[in-house]
Amino acid sequence: MNNSWKFYNSGKKGEFFDELITDTGRPRQVAGHAVKMLQGLSTTAMAARRGAAELAIREMGISFTIYSEGKNIDRAWPFDIIPRIISGREWQKVSRGLAQRSRALNCFIDDIYNKQKILADGLMPADIVLDSGNYKPQCANVSPRFGAWAHVCGTDLVRDKDGRFYVLEDNLRVPSGVSYMLENREITKRVLPELFKNYSILPVDDYPSHLYSTLASLSPREQRRPCIVVLTPGIFNSAYFEHAYLAQGMGAELVEGSDLFVDSDDCLYMRTVDGPERVDVVYRRIDDDFLDPEAFREDSTLGVPGIMRAWKKGNVAIANAPGSGVADDKVVYAFVPEMIRYYLGEEPSLASVKTYLCMNEPDREYVLANLDKLVVKPANESGGYGLMVGPHATRAKRAEFAKLIEANPRNYIAQPTLSLSTAPTYIDDTVEPRHLDLRPFILQGKDTWVTPGGLTRVALVKGSLVVNSSQGGGSKDTWIVENSKKSSKKGAAQ
Amino acid sequence: MIMLSRVAERLYWMARYLERAEDTARLTQAYSHLIMDIPAGSEPGWDILVRILDAEPIFGENHRVCNEQNVLKFLIADEENAGSINFCIRAARENVRTTRDVLPEEVWEHVNELYLYSVENAARSVGRRNRHKFLDQVITRCQMINGLLMTTLCRDHAYRFIKLGHLLERADMTTRVIDVGAGALLGHERLNQAVDPLIWSCLLQSLSAMGTYRRTIGPLVEADAVVEFVFRDGSLPRSVKFCLDGIRQELVPLKNHKAALKVLDRARRSLSRFHAENGEREDLHKFIDRFQLELNTLGETISTTWFMPPPEND
Repeated sequence: MNNSWKFYNSGKKGEFFDELITDTGRPRQVAGHAVKMLQGLSTTAMAARRGAAELAIREMGISFTIYSEGKNIDRAWPFDIIPRIISGREWQKVSRGLAQRSRALNCFIDDIYNKQKILADGLMPADIVLDSGNYKPQCANVSPRFGAWAHVCGTDLVRDKDGRFYVLEDNLRVPSGVSYMLENREITKRVLPELFKNYSILPVDDYPSHLYSTLASLSPREQRRPCIVVLTPGIFNSAYFEHAYLAQGMGAELVEGSDLFVDSDDCLYMRTVDGPERVDVVYRRIDDDFLDPEAFREDSTLGVPGIMRAWKKGNVAIANAPGSGVADDKVVYAFVPEMIRYYLGEEPSLASVKTYLCMNEPDREYVLANLDKLVVKPANESGGYGLMVGPHATRAKRAEFAKLIEANPRNYIAQPTLSLSTAPTYIDDTVEPRHLDLRPFILQGKDTWVTPGGLTRVALVKGSLVVNSSQGGGSKDTWIVENSKKSSKKGAAQ
Repeated sequence: MIMLSRVAERLYWMARYLERAEDTARLTQAYSHLIMDIPAGSEPGWDILVRILDAEPIFGENHRVCNEQNVLKFLIADEENAGSINFCIRAARENVRTTRDVLPEEVWEHVNELYLYSVENAARSVGRRNRHKFLDQVITRCQMINGLLMTTLCRDHAYRFIKLGHLLERADMTTRVIDVGAGALLGHERLNQAVDPLIWSCLLQSLSAMGTYRRTIGPLVEADAVVEFVFRDGSLPRSVKFCLDGIRQELVPLKNHKAALKVLDRARRSLSRFHAENGEREDLHKFIDRFQLELNTLGETISTTWFMPPPEND
């Protein structure tokens, strides 16, 4: 064993779940080959592999943009070479749970904008939904094809110390990160090619074709090849790299708002050198608020005037449908298990995290009394902004949040601090445990499809639980490994 | 094959800026050599480079004297002069950055490298010592990018708009090269007959056309013959006729090409009616001025036809 792994300590017994190493310090069965191979590399060989990964990232031009002090800075994608490995049998269950969840969420959105049965039946207080900023009255009485609204859903999962996966949140508006999942696999293939010999790893690189099929199934015109566009806010957006990547992967046009217009026939067209070309499906990567200055923010220059009109008339499909965000509110999150029972008549197969709604008095009292134990989140922020991790917060910070909660209880929820699982991560010259989460992507069109694995994000700062790349997070390749007879017989732990 | 108007516009401008950078480098290179050949006292001034590029107003904003240092800085490194080599390269790169998905991957890499080279070297290549190497690098790298485009691009709309940009810019720059020789700007009373062939040879060299001229026309470099050759020889890739013929070829397959073809054919007719023989230098200069306006109109017509279609009336 080389020195980098010598002091790897996955924590006190039962404190955290480690993805690759058991409490007794042995590799988990599914990770056996990989851990053995990596431990066999000398310190210099490890560093050389990391160097190769960094070079590949530069060559492939994988970058992301962060906002800092009013400036946009392009950063190279932070990547850890040690993959996270999950067994195929375990993933099957997770995958089923994700598909079930996505179906129920879509039923919910469709219901809310149409009959509102779930509210009439009293399963959820109506004001929670209808008073939320995420409920868009402009979307009422629209029925998109297949009842599908959130066509691309990025669900964040974490694994607690009990080794189970929990859903942390659903991202139903414009979830990003999928291109990094694909690039991470490309990099690993270049950097650790020998590992692919001993493992049968489920491929991820067919994502763009699944996305294409999902989007094509939404087309309002029956055509052999519908016209699909990816709508980006432009080169200065933090995810522009991904927008271009997906457009290229699908053979779709990458367009900006000014490339599109709605004509007097209420159809959407793009301006081409051959004249206007009708657009069937818009995979939009701009927020609802900026989508259509006629329907939402008037000052938006990113969107397309009249696109909501075209959508409501069924002349164009928009993915994700406007208004989908009504279901990824963190207050609504608490009701998802109920939705699954209500709409699908099934028991939820993925666990949710216990959620305290500050709007309810008993919950609020509990939260205010236990701020040092809980994570407090604003109900509708993403990217890890504006949250407080109680056990790590200063006394002043906790007092500040107590005030915020009392001033606006609807806007806050609290959850117990989860012990996010860890995985061996190559930091400087040693391999150390770091906390991580997982964002699989679920596609919902005519059919439901779940990515095998997803984007694993890792908090590179020791002890930190914040994995967002905008706040010092990195990422790992995620492997779903088929359990072949060969590997189970070998018993990698010996 | 769908081509967004915005993408077509960016490709067209990428090509124009690349061509402008290359041609400005060629002209500056040739002129620098010329100055060294002409006996001290009778050499033409540097101001002519600014004047043939119609850049006096911008130049005048920041400079008082038209000396070598100021003019070369203005043509090579100036950040605000839309005709400076450094500016053109930056503009070309911006256009490629947002159209990477329709271009071969290497194009972005090479354009980006050219940009980095220019950023690093432009300012210190104004003086005579480094100037030659810098201009030579710019010309070579532009040629490499052009070669890459011509040998890898699928012959579709993307190719077509790139070609249009290149040819239109080149036609315009070639007329400016001739304008240097037209002498009207040179104040030719200062020059003696002996200097004239030197100037014309230098201009032919800037168009990489010296050898072809000798083989086709003969070893004597004479004003009228050079003008005739550079304007109207259909086989010379930097001749005005060659560029206009090429533009026609790319316009024909495009939809809605009527207006642009009309403007183009008008320019082709003026070109074929013009005769250099016995013409006064002053007439040549006036013709070039008028002709450049026709090329401008063609550029505007291309832009209004394909790049900014009014959304209401389609």
